[in-house]
Amino acid sequence: MIGSVEKVVIVGGGTAGWLSACLLAARRPELAITLVEAPDIATIGVGEGTWPTMRETLATIGISEAEFLTECDAAFKQGSRFDGWVDGSAQDSYLHPFTPPPPGDMAALLAAWQAGAADLPFAAMMTPQHAVCAENLAPRQRTMPGYAGALTYGYHLDAGKFAGLVGRHATGRLGVSHVAAQVTEVVIGPTGDVAGLRLHDGRTLEGDFFIDCSGQAAILIGNHCKVPWIDRSDVSFNDRALAVQVPVAQGSPIASQTVGTAHEAGWIWDIALPARRGIGCVYSSRFLDDDRAEDILRAHIAAHVPGADVSALQPRQLRFATGHRARFWDRNCLAVGLSAGFIEPLEASAIVTIELSIKALADNFPRRSATMGILADRFNDLFRYRWDRIVEFLKLHYVLSRRAEPYWVAQRDPATIPARLAQCLELWRDQPPSTWDFPRMDELFCAASQQYVLYGMGFPVPDACRRSAIDTAAVGRLADVRQRARSLVAALPANRTYLDAARVQAHAALNMELARQ
Amino acid sequence: MTNHAILNPADHGDLRVHTHASADLGDAIMACPTVPAEFRQVQAHYPIVLRRDPATGQMGALALFGFETGENLFLRDGRWDATYRPLAMAIQPFLIGRPATPDGAAQVHVDLAHPRISADGEGVRVFDAEGMPTPFLEDIAGKLGDLDHAHREAAGFYAALERYELAEPFTLEVTLDSGATNSLVGYHTIDEARLAALDGAALHDLMAGGHLLRIAMILASLSHFADLVARKNMLARDG
Repeated sequence: MIGSVEKVVIVGGGTAGWLSACLLAARRPELAITLVEAPDIATIGVGEGTWPTMRETLATIGISEAEFLTECDAAFKQGSRFDGWVDGSAQDSYLHPFTPPPPGDMAALLAAWQAGAADLPFAAMMTPQHAVCAENLAPRQRTMPGYAGALTYGYHLDAGKFAGLVGRHATGRLGVSHVAAQVTEVVIGPTGDVAGLRLHDGRTLEGDFFIDCSGQAAILIGNHCKVPWIDRSDVSFNDRALAVQVPVAQGSPIASQTVGTAHEAGWIWDIALPARRGIGCVYSSRFLDDDRAEDILRAHIAAHVPGADVSALQPRQLRFATGHRARFWDRNCLAVGLSAGFIEPLEASAIVTIELSIKALADNFPRRSATMGILADRFNDLFRYRWDRIVEFLKLHYVLSRRAEPYWVAQRDPATIPARLAQCLELWRDQPPSTWDFPRMDELFCAASQQYVLYGMGFPVPDACRRSAIDTAAVGRLADVRQRARSLVAALPANRTYLDAARVQAHAALNMELARQ
Repeated sequence: MTNHAILNPADHGDLRVHTHASADLGDAIMACPTVPAEFRQVQAHYPIVLRRDPATGQMGALALFGFETGENLFLRDGRWDATYRPLAMAIQPFLIGRPATPDGAAQVHVDLAHPRISADGEGVRVFDAEGMPTPFLEDIAGKLGDLDHAHREAAGFYAALERYELAEPFTLEVTLDSGATNSLVGYHTIDEARLAALDGAALHDLMAGGHLLRIAMILASLSHFADLVARKNMLARDG
């Protein structure tokens, strides 16, 4: 059929490229998908936290959970914990768990919390996940079917190994063609759409639709399409990171959540895998020089990783532009991953944005060139909305702080706070965040996430909730949470126990497979 | 081999128990004892048959899971494929113990040699970090209490069956799709003809004692033989 869209070319082979290839191939098996990547290009490879969406993604593309966990040296992630963000004191810590609060009216739950146990953390009242995370427990038992859990969870993973796994899966099991070559030129067709990519060996890779996963190089969306970059560093200050991987002792506990610890001009991530912890210092170069950032990182590791040889660590510096494209889909080119945009790694929105982009594309794939523009407009509207919400939600973590360092004071400058966030904060003095504030499907940060951060950081509960009569149903739901926490803490294994056993099981299965051959 | 101990937090503070279903955990059995008090739940899933203890001559009841020794047709892919497990299964590896004094309070005992006892850090904790019973143990203790009570009140039911001679031996011959046959021998069930012939005074006696409904439940449960045969045929088909 003339103008039909059948051949898809993906440029770039990092997490974004291979994950996009897998998801699109699984969802749209009728497409012929080719991924071209320049040989020997290092991937960024620090996107090491996923969202719960990754479970459905992996199930969709046909990778078993057991295989994924062992191949990617992965662990369970049940949320993020924020230490030192409010005032930096020793007891300053709150959890943003993946499991939402109990169903029902949040105002009634807030009132029940305030009346019953106002001294307990919001997250501890609203979900058993708080107790489970505190004990370093896994969200599931090994006897449960893959991807099922007693609580909502995502993963921490080795990004390099993950790109390898989805790459092998794409070419080996999903029929994606792989071309190792450098793209030297973009070939334009008679309509003005991209018709093909010239490779350094003289070949031309033709396609009907192109996905730009070339990262910061942005070969198609930037260099070719010239879609403007919208800088968001006026809101989101962090622009550098020092990343390092710290080996851990055998048998050491594995944390159930990403830990983000605030420092004088940014924060430190700590992502626990079975064999190592990925730790990185995120900062704003306007407020902190590189040497000081490295000192902060090393001091943190010395204080928080037992037995770490701090002097042997060689942190790698990453510099990133904060912002996103004005449009993500231009003519027949779609940007996915870092080429589309990047905001600092707080709340790990990078990989989930890849998943949501391909979901939106696969659900609305252009069958004809004629519909391309309509679908592109819709996609661009949706993702502009999503990037705005990401920027605002990340900013929320800073504006609620009371820290006094210049960086933190600057974060609270009203001139740096997006108008919509300022409006929400005004409304939330009178009513808790709700779906009225976040009404779209697949909101990245739904009302529950906003509530966990808001009340985790001590934002005042609306006066109306304090004054209202206590709803016995809400009290009952909070009692159910407590009872379920007791049951789950008793029933769930430690992350370490689970993951070590899973590894032994995988090796035994592999040996049996080898013995059979 | 068993190794019974009185459950207590000092000795069993870190004890974990596997709660999933598996042959490795002792679930590969064709039947387990059931008590009249749970016939209502059991008859919804399993055939209930009667059996006379060869040593004591005492009548008892069994819930059937299969047709031959070691066959449990409800075990599938690491789970128990029914929403109710008879109490005798659900309480494992725990038991009710009584001190030697006749009126001593019942205690929770645990069989430390039972395969459900976990040695690998997985499974459900019995006591929490403070040594308090977990909801799992609270549930088990409730079931042990139920079972203890059920055992005590069962005698009246069996005495009524004997009084009216309502138990009759039966043999069941089952032919599978494959042509193979299985037979069940040595069990009893309710003699429907004798039940139908009881007079008003006898029926009133059975009803007043709460026995009539339980008799009816045994009869109703027999329709599950068809389900057992279907499970066995499916297993043979799927390998």
